Amino acid sequence: MGCEKILNLFQSELVTVNVGPKILATALEKQGYQAIQVDWKPAAGGDREMQEILELLGGLD
Amino acid sequence: MEIFVKIEAGRYIDSLETLYASSVLAEQPGVDNGYAGVASDAFKDTLQAEGLYTPALDKATANDFVIVAQCEDLAAFEQAVEAVYDSFDSEEMQETQEEHFISIKAAVEKHPEANLCSVAVPGENALCEVKKALNAGLHCVVFSNNVPLEQEREMKELAREKGLLCMGPDCGVANINGAALVLSSINNRGPFGICGASGTGIQHVAAMLHEAGTGVSQTIGTGGNDLKDPVGGIMMLMGIDALEADPQTRYIALISRKPGEKTFPKILERVSRCSKPVVALFMGSDREMVETSGAIYADSLDDCAQKCLALVNMEYPLASEEELSRLAAQEVQKLSPEQKYLRGAFSGGTYMDEASHVLVERIGTIWSNCPLEPEWKLENSYMSVQNSCIDYGEEEFTLGRPHPAIDPSIRKPAILREAADPEVALILLDFILTPPGHMDPTGYVLEDISLAQEMAEAEGRHLIFIASVLGTTADLQDLHRQQRQLTQAGVIVCQSNYRAAMLAGEIIRQKKEIDKNGL
Repeated sequence: MGCEKILNLFQSELVTVNVGPKILATALEKQGYQAIQVDWKPAAGGDREMQEILELLGGLD
Repeated sequence: MEIFVKIEAGRYIDSLETLYASSVLAEQPGVDNGYAGVASDAFKDTLQAEGLYTPALDKATANDFVIVAQCEDLAAFEQAVEAVYDSFDSEEMQETQEEHFISIKAAVEKHPEANLCSVAVPGENALCEVKKALNAGLHCVVFSNNVPLEQEREMKELAREKGLLCMGPDCGVANINGAALVLSSINNRGPFGICGASGTGIQHVAAMLHEAGTGVSQTIGTGGNDLKDPVGGIMMLMGIDALEADPQTRYIALISRKPGEKTFPKILERVSRCSKPVVALFMGSDREMVETSGAIYADSLDDCAQKCLALVNMEYPLASEEELSRLAAQEVQKLSPEQKYLRGAFSGGTYMDEASHVLVERIGTIWSNCPLEPEWKLENSYMSVQNSCIDYGEEEFTLGRPHPAIDPSIRKPAILREAADPEVALILLDFILTPPGHMDPTGYVLEDISLAQEMAEAEGRHLIFIASVLGTTADLQDLHRQQRQLTQAGVIVCQSNYRAAMLAGEIIRQKKEIDKNGL
């Protein structure tokens, strides 16, 4: 795989999906860049075993 | 004083939000010490260390939000809890108008123009989220740390297969298309493409290029572990490919601590085929090996920036060793006989490492929580001895809390604590500017610096403060304003951390000589 997709990123307008603390999305917005906030929470209430089962079932998105 | 606990089952709040909750809690009347957060094992460890753990927390899990505080009485605790919830409510009210998503998939479906994903979730969840982002076609910058190396390799192999960037895990600095991501500084655009495994290193070199009047095309942080053999430099190799192919990049700078033995030759082989000039700083590596690859060798962060600038016939004016030595001689005269030691309080590990190397050469043993030699480890990181440097970005201080660049309150108590020791001659500080960081990191500690100086003067001593500020004039906090505030408070501001350490070491060395020779 070459670096076409990376060069494409370098030539595009940056649009960031922010997964985690909102403060990082706000920091991008303060600089004039678009940020889309995903409010992340641990899946299955943080239960590792349940997360693995969900992942196997394709239920984590 | 008694410990009170409130547990709210089934409420997840990320660590940065809980930071504000903890700050609000600590400010309430009648509260001696308090923490708010989700009851993860790490958070429980913090509570244990702070003497705030009670059996009531045994059954609480990472899915429960808890507020724990040592308070005068129940009424004070209840009032403090109310204040914490009020702070959440005001934040939530501000955010109700904004668009939020519950998953990467949902976000990309609504915003197919998205091209980058910034991932900052607990390390154990990072692989899962990064895979989702890469599979959705997004380049990634991954701030999460504590990700096992085999998982790092897995995410980077997937990224390579898809031709996408995976900057990190543990990536604090990257500038893409002019945006300062994660904890980067804001930089001018220019002809230099930087790829590095040291966040502070990239930020330092990019800031010097900016201040000299040039700038960066892109900076690609690989995460600190990329050049270790289990990861094999996957992202640095991709970064070199991309920067070589990028028409905006005319020169390339590579920055890392010493790479793994198997990985280093692979990187150098790639450098030898690069059609653009490469400046390489691989700290502690063999100069000849680097030069054989055709790269321009740099031996420090300042040197790396200067070697880059030389390529465009520019230079960043830095104080020479002689100038610093003369300044040191003036400062030494102000010290009283018992003052002979320095105390460094750092918010960045790379900077503490750099300073320690400079200091050891001049004054020998530097005690630390992360020492250069294992036998120099401090027994207690809150009790410095002789010449000591503390990294406040270390896990022991940041468990369940953000990095000191975001939350300077972690380091704040160090100033008065170190200043209270009559044998201390100088205090060495670093400051880091970044968009998500504190909006006035130097202003935040000025009062303590003044108080420390007044306390010393009252006892017939003169306490020297030396500082460096990492950032640029384009940063929201403005480098020059931050430097000016420090200078006005009597702090000696050096142009770089290296120079600050050199001056500090020289003052202590000269003082030692005077004490020995009775001059």
